[in-house]
Amino acid sequence: MSADIKDLSNLDRLIHEPSRLAIMAVLSACESADFTYLLNTTGLTKGNLSAHLSKLEFAGYIKIVKRFKGKYPNTLCSCTASGRRAFQAYWKQYSALAQHLQQ
Amino acid sequence: MTNLPDVKRILTETRRYEFADGLRDIQMAILLGITGAVTWLVLQPFWMNILTDWGQKFGRGAAWMGLLVVFVAPLAAWGMVALMNLIRKRWLWRESGIVKPARWVVPRRVTVLSSVILIAGLVLSIAARRAGWVEDAFVLRMFWAATGWSFAYTLVAMGHELGLSRYIWLGGIGGAMSTSLLFLQLTFAQIALVFGLSWGLLLALSGIITLRQSVRIPQVSK
Repeated sequence: MSADIKDLSNLDRLIHEPSRLAIMAVLSACESADFTYLLNTTGLTKGNLSAHLSKLEFAGYIKIVKRFKGKYPNTLCSCTASGRRAFQAYWKQYSALAQHLQQ
Repeated sequence: MTNLPDVKRILTETRRYEFADGLRDIQMAILLGITGAVTWLVLQPFWMNILTDWGQKFGRGAAWMGLLVVFVAPLAAWGMVALMNLIRKRWLWRESGIVKPARWVVPRRVTVLSSVILIAGLVLSIAARRAGWVEDAFVLRMFWAATGWSFAYTLVAMGHELGLSRYIWLGGIGGAMSTSLLFLQLTFAQIALVFGLSWGLLLALSGIITLRQSVRIPQVSK
């Protein structure tokens, strides 16, 4: 069991937070997604989503581009190479741990 | 959001989003339909006569210009992408948000295996011809049949990967349709036309039905 606890402590805490995990899952499955799509998929409020995006951007996991679509602002998010690597590593680690605990 | 989200579901739904409105099916229908029609056209004697006439009237350059017809299919597919983006931004995805799909929508192993299916079909038919089991025309018919099998496999694999049952059905029907091409006593050009139009019709039908459903049910609630 101590090995499991060690594995658990090795998980990327930034990605392990449920909302950020959902955001990273969306962005790792596509080239980019806009704020509206992330809002609909994660079910977060605008403020919450914005805060989580800022944290992920600060960590260098995602890139945020703000632009205008006609008169309206549009925020486009994409996963960086390091973000993709971090998510894949997290997911591999988490899946292995979950499988091990089930056994 | 206290529990961990269903990551597998999110990954699949995001990948599926690109295909959920049926516009991709219509794009593929246009590409295959026009490819079949253009292949048929350029192999027709009357088209050669038209090119010869142009050559005599307007010079050799004009005859070469006539060959540009081979670019019609890629141009139409490119135009469809532009139209698709416009429709999605202004209408279909306005409420649900915009997603730019990953560069390689089809997994690499699926692409590799579909190429293997195409090459294996051709190699086997050539081997059968050398052994004297089939006539020359069979090898030419096999070109379109194997192309159809390869495409059908890609659809089935994608349907399985993305949880889109319509692609599994389309792949099954298209695969059977492509097999039937082997038994048609037609020329290479005629088979190309039948191949393009039948696949085009099948995909267009699937695209239109899916598009109608997607307009009725907003993408957000899917």
